[in-house]
Amino acid sequence: MKLYDFELSGNCYKIRMFLNILGVEYERHPIDFFPGNEHKSAAFLAINPLGQLPVLDHGGFQLRDAQAILSYLAAKYDSGGTWYPASDPERLGEVNQWMAFGDMITVTSSAARLHDGLSYRQIDVEAARNGAHRLFRILDEHLWFAEHEGRTWICQGDEPTIADIACFPYIMLSLEGGISLQDYPAIRRWTDRVKRIPGFIAMSGIFAAGPGLGVA
Amino acid sequence: MTDTHLKWYPIAASDDLAPRHVFDAQLLGQEIAAWRADDGFANVWENRCLHRGVRLSIGINDGSELKCQYHGWRYSNRSANCTYIPAHPADAPARTVCNRKYTTREKYGLVWTAIESSGDVPPISLLDDTAHMPLRAMPMNASAALVEEMLKGASFKRDDNDRWSGLTAETDSSGAILFNGIATFNLVFFVQPVDSTRSVVRGVATGISDGDIDELRHLNACLSVLRRAIETRAAHQKRADPIAPVYTQVDAELATMPDRSDTGAVGHRVRVAHKTMTANDTARFELVGLGEELPTGQAGAHIDVHLPNGLIRQYSLTNGPTETDSYVIGVKREPGSTGGSQCLHDTVREGDILMVSAPRNNFPLRRDAVRSVFVAGGIGITPLLSMAKTIENQRLDYDLHYFVRDDDHVAFAEQIAALSGNVTLHKGLSVENTGKALRDIYQGPANANHTYICGPGPMLDAARTAAAECGWREDAVHFEYFKNTNEVDASSSFEIALARSGRTLQVNAGETVLDVLRTNGISIASCCSQGACGTCKVAVIEGDVDHQDVHLTDSEKRQNAFIMTCVSRAKSNRLVLDI
Repeated sequence: MKLYDFELSGNCYKIRMFLNILGVEYERHPIDFFPGNEHKSAAFLAINPLGQLPVLDHGGFQLRDAQAILSYLAAKYDSGGTWYPASDPERLGEVNQWMAFGDMITVTSSAARLHDGLSYRQIDVEAARNGAHRLFRILDEHLWFAEHEGRTWICQGDEPTIADIACFPYIMLSLEGGISLQDYPAIRRWTDRVKRIPGFIAMSGIFAAGPGLGVA
Repeated sequence: MTDTHLKWYPIAASDDLAPRHVFDAQLLGQEIAAWRADDGFANVWENRCLHRGVRLSIGINDGSELKCQYHGWRYSNRSANCTYIPAHPADAPARTVCNRKYTTREKYGLVWTAIESSGDVPPISLLDDTAHMPLRAMPMNASAALVEEMLKGASFKRDDNDRWSGLTAETDSSGAILFNGIATFNLVFFVQPVDSTRSVVRGVATGISDGDIDELRHLNACLSVLRRAIETRAAHQKRADPIAPVYTQVDAELATMPDRSDTGAVGHRVRVAHKTMTANDTARFELVGLGEELPTGQAGAHIDVHLPNGLIRQYSLTNGPTETDSYVIGVKREPGSTGGSQCLHDTVREGDILMVSAPRNNFPLRRDAVRSVFVAGGIGITPLLSMAKTIENQRLDYDLHYFVRDDDHVAFAEQIAALSGNVTLHKGLSVENTGKALRDIYQGPANANHTYICGPGPMLDAARTAAAECGWREDAVHFEYFKNTNEVDASSSFEIALARSGRTLQVNAGETVLDVLRTNGISIASCCSQGACGTCKVAVIEGDVDHQDVHLTDSEKRQNAFIMTCVSRAKSNRLVLDI
């Protein structure tokens, strides 16, 4: 299995993290997104005409789009069926709803980060930041009530899902785009919980958490 | 400083401070990191590490210490004292390295603080003696003044028969906005000024409980509607300049190089809260501060205890990193006691007030060892117990070997039983078998293994010998003697030149270097006066030292870089000291 990967991409990172959580071996094929712009090269456009990372190549089967790759990996390798609960219509619907929400976080928070960090000057950074704050208000409210109703994760159920993985990276990296999480305490607590999922890995700008209370 | 700086504001709900989490807050432009230790204490600190200014809100709350994410400086629960600096693993941080902390209260389900505290959180009679529930806080992009103004006109009713209908707002003297409702249903709001253009509305409701999710959702929805109206209006207002945060200058004490005379002997009055026998000849004393917070002792530290009979004695702290609200020492009754242990055993009682020094650490613990081996003999367990708890809290590997005469002589048995590392009791061993056991312990030295030894002189000597025979590097073997049993030879006479102050003094036979320095008005901290504790250590620039102490290792003695001024002397005619 081969992952077309860029170290600083939150969308590539979520795949690396999920592969690590699942314990699946894979090979990293680095694409020089910045400053080389290799994802817009003819060679890479032949792999993904959208010119986006990540792309997964599993024995010739190619899949683009981070959320699609998450669902493929969960369906293929999660024997417990908890990460992508295909047999539970309500939870499945919720997972897809919040994965689409994760895409909206990418469009806003990641765009602001590209503007601030990687000199993407064409991006309207104020619009991107405002868009991210609008989403974070919605997610913080959702997670605050989840905590008060005894839930831990974004979707129903006792186990995390790929919706948690999909939303996590560009929330953690939002400050790199000038978007503070100070107004979203429930989101910040949830990010600690995601960091404590066994198999969690860090990336530049996303640190590991310390042990939780009562964890051996 | 302004009036708002004196005022108490809520900056979080109590349950926002989840275990092992660091909450990110802001009040009047000051960034705040708030975290709850495992003992329940809520720490509210300035959100910046003293070292490089990195936000502590991205740090790690390990339940008893907050670790900065950048270079791993660790700060203790309650006192905010820096307890460990990874770049200097063999040194104890100066006790003056202490984070800026804000006074904190928890009341009405909220965490309160003030930039400059005075008095207490103003009471809200509507909330006193009534079950109450904090609402979800509502951050708003608007000034506190605008939020307060429009909040007073807010409506929370669903319809005219609703429990939240007929509420009228009033502002009390503390600035809280009260909606005094029918029967038990009341709403109280506090507006936290985050900055000039940002605020947080923190509400508390009575008459509902945590389980009333529908009511919480309803009130949250009302506040969301209010937020839209407030933010629309704020968008048309002229944007105010941000409130400039006020950074308190660090203490002069912290900003300057410590004076040579800094003895760390700042007095703290403590009360003997508990005195119990922990072994048949050893008493455990728990000492609590009188109204003031005690500085945090690092693992291996000791305090001077000023006794009612005028004597001053040193005792190691047994506290682990989670035990920050008292000093716990163990005192063995010495048969040949010159009045120290005898006085503590026979005279000092629970409730008595004693004077103690701030903790001083001449036996620092590295927290970067792959494995730490603690070897205790008798009452030498006290500093090693503190070390074992610290290493265990950080989830590092350790072995604790405790040599005792018999079961009756095991001190702090309960705390030792609570340790989850490899703990081995060696009971009633002969001198020969002790040596054998020590050689077994020290088999197979490895890189990044460190050992710490404390106990009676002969046992300590045997342990050091065993470690050396087994191939342990001298710099991996750390030890602390109770006392120096070597006979001090004070027959030499020589000259000391003080490089910094440009003076030359004569030390005659029978005088100590320390005596001569003090007689000439130079203040030097000292403690045990017998070359065991290391407090009176002074750097040597030139000359051959006649080392008579038991504090320095053999290679340190060969290097001639330091002298224990209370017992050591000169072999050469002249010593140049860095004073």
